[in-house]
Amino acid sequence: MTDAIIQFRNVSKHFGPLKVLDEVDLDIHKGEVVVLIGPSGSGKSTLLRCINGWEQITGGDLIINGMSVLGGNKVLREIRQEAGMVFQQFNLFPQMTALQNVAFGPQEVRGLSRKEARDLARELLAKVGLAEKADHEPSELSGGQQQRVAIARALAIKPKVMLFDEPTSALDPELKQEVLNVMRTLAAEGMTMVVVTHEMGFAKQVGTRLIFMEHGKIAVDGHPREVIDTPPNDRMKDFLQHV
Amino acid sequence: MEVNWLIIWDFIPQLMKGAQVTVHITVVGLLGGVVLGAIAGLMRAYGNTVINAIAFVYIEVIRGTPIVVQVMFLYFALPVLASIRIDPMTTAVLAIVINAGAYIAEIVRGAVLSISKGLTEAGLAIGLPRWKVIRYIVGPLAFRRLIPPLGNQFIVSLKDTSLFIVIGVGELTRTGQEIMAANFRAVENWTAVAVMYLIMTGVLSLMLRMIEKRMRIL
Repeated sequence: MTDAIIQFRNVSKHFGPLKVLDEVDLDIHKGEVVVLIGPSGSGKSTLLRCINGWEQITGGDLIINGMSVLGGNKVLREIRQEAGMVFQQFNLFPQMTALQNVAFGPQEVRGLSRKEARDLARELLAKVGLAEKADHEPSELSGGQQQRVAIARALAIKPKVMLFDEPTSALDPELKQEVLNVMRTLAAEGMTMVVVTHEMGFAKQVGTRLIFMEHGKIAVDGHPREVIDTPPNDRMKDFLQHV
Repeated sequence: MEVNWLIIWDFIPQLMKGAQVTVHITVVGLLGGVVLGAIAGLMRAYGNTVINAIAFVYIEVIRGTPIVVQVMFLYFALPVLASIRIDPMTTAVLAIVINAGAYIAEIVRGAVLSISKGLTEAGLAIGLPRWKVIRYIVGPLAFRRLIPPLGNQFIVSLKDTSLFIVIGVGELTRTGQEIMAANFRAVENWTAVAVMYLIMTGVLSLMLRMIEKRMRIL
């Protein structure tokens, strides 16, 4: 059909009587950097969280790299290996060093040997600029550093897509940039990314596509620079003035 | 009768035998209690509605009834109901297993639920199966938080063994009472018994504090 790596087919999500996603159709292709924005409650985080099954869709179908999120636990686990996730709250394993955090996934999930996993982890920590922090525990790292380790941890299982759920929202302004820089590098390498964020600078510079969500529907879908500079509707214009 | 502390030496060997029985019931009972408690606690934390309800009923029934009543039930009612006859010692151990298990279940559930949900999500997000998330991520973290309340329960259970006097198990308190009946040395006897309990709980506290020190609570 298409070469879309993520395909939303008429996807709905209800929380009880509340409709959070309303028959969403969306194709995301390889190499796209999709930035999701919208007021709180618009469904942007839910949209992201449906992709690797944190939220179960209640209508339609959602296909990731050829696998449906409705395929049961085993398929879901495979989807999660293809779609790495970075959380707002970092969620590093506190009992492990930075290196162990990154090496754990490849060793336990991908079946790499201990040495292979550690080598890969070192390589990825170097990539996010934290080679010298390998043996530090999360509590010894700043928020920005923790989030960069979390990105390395997600990359370690070699996902085809990276999902970011407000990756810089919990960070002080001066720490946001180091995380955004890592994301920039990833985008430049051609990683497919879906990012929920309020960083309009990042959206304009790095995003290849911007989606503005409202009431569980995609209200605007366009090129970031164009739609941010000249918002096609008043709600989005209003929203952008408040970010 | 004048208080004569030296007389304690005469019945110390007998008390030591009673203390041995107390330690035996406590250790075996708590081993079983930890296993049962871990299972029931995990059932509460991770089980579906049915599994959860089974563990819930067990915990509430045990927590809601006195341990003496539980012992009486095991020793006197069970033979009538199910024609299962068990000797006093087995009854005592079983009572500690069942009683401590219920409290330990709540300790385990609390420790597991105190670990941030985000860590479970992060583990699942890298494609780990749930059992590996519990085994390698949530488990080790919860275990550290388990130690202080678990120590508390160990001490309570150790002291609860004194209640088995009601079914005639020859543990420390019962031994004390036997000696008391023979020589009427109330002050010396009950002081000695109390000190022996203090030594046992003291050793237990010390061990737990050492474990706690070795493990940082995260």
